[in-house]
Amino acid sequence: MKEFYKNIGDALSMLDGLEKDLNIRHFTPNELKVFYTIIIQSHKTNKGSNITEIVENSGMSRSTVYKTLKKLSSEDIISLSPSDRDGRESLVLLNSRI
Amino acid sequence: MKNFLTLSVTTYLFGITLWVLWYFVDQNVPFLMGEGSWYYLPHAARVLCVVYFGYKAIPALYLAELSGPYLLVPGLYPFSSYLPSFISVISVPLAIQVLRLLSFPLGDTASSPLNKRNYKHIYLITFISAGFNAILVNLYLSRNELNFPGLITNIEQLSRFFVGDIIGTVLVFVSLSYILKPIIAQSRN
Repeated sequence: MKEFYKNIGDALSMLDGLEKDLNIRHFTPNELKVFYTIIIQSHKTNKGSNITEIVENSGMSRSTVYKTLKKLSSEDIISLSPSDRDGRESLVLLNSRI
Repeated sequence: MKNFLTLSVTTYLFGITLWVLWYFVDQNVPFLMGEGSWYYLPHAARVLCVVYFGYKAIPALYLAELSGPYLLVPGLYPFSSYLPSFISVISVPLAIQVLRLLSFPLGDTASSPLNKRNYKHIYLITFISAGFNAILVNLYLSRNELNFPGLITNIEQLSRFFVGDIIGTVLVFVSLSYILKPIIAQSRN
């Protein structure tokens, strides 16, 4: 029986990967707005954007932006790295699969 | 033994459910009526069950393949489908074996050349098995001068089988990832 559940678990993992790549996981409208802002900013600057720019351009509160960045980062959609100009600021980078 | 029974029942129910669903769509849904071989959903059961349950799933899959045309809709095909159904079921283990011979054995870790947790690898098995199924079943039909009602066994039918198995499997996988979203989220945590 243990083996049966392990096999089902493997099948669910496979579907999880598909779900991830199809991007059908749930995002709220605010999260989507932040996400689209990151894409637009990345396109404009051709490099990562900092959090202050995302807050200003998305019109969302800093806390919403932070929460969304955390979620996008855990979903492996973006990655955060320290900014060269200001070590206290994080640079948001879109991962290559997007 | 208990594991074999559980996986056999699961495989049979999954296979027959997909067959019934496919037959219903093929018979009743406008625009898709009579075009069932372009989206053959039951191929997904062959792929999923053989990949995740192994060769032990073959008897139940074969029974599910035969139940459609023999129990649910008797006389659906004007020829005996015992051998074509068997070829269809065997196409997936054949694809896995061919990949294994080419040094791509199927495993369940990230270091395995083919990982059963990676859907792209499962699509590769789907693609190859659809090819084997299309070629071998149509070869059998053509050699024995057998045809589906109103159709001719030719290269067009072979292409339809190939594309249909792939489209059907992709449709089932995508639908399952939507339907099982809550369970997948739970298993992730």
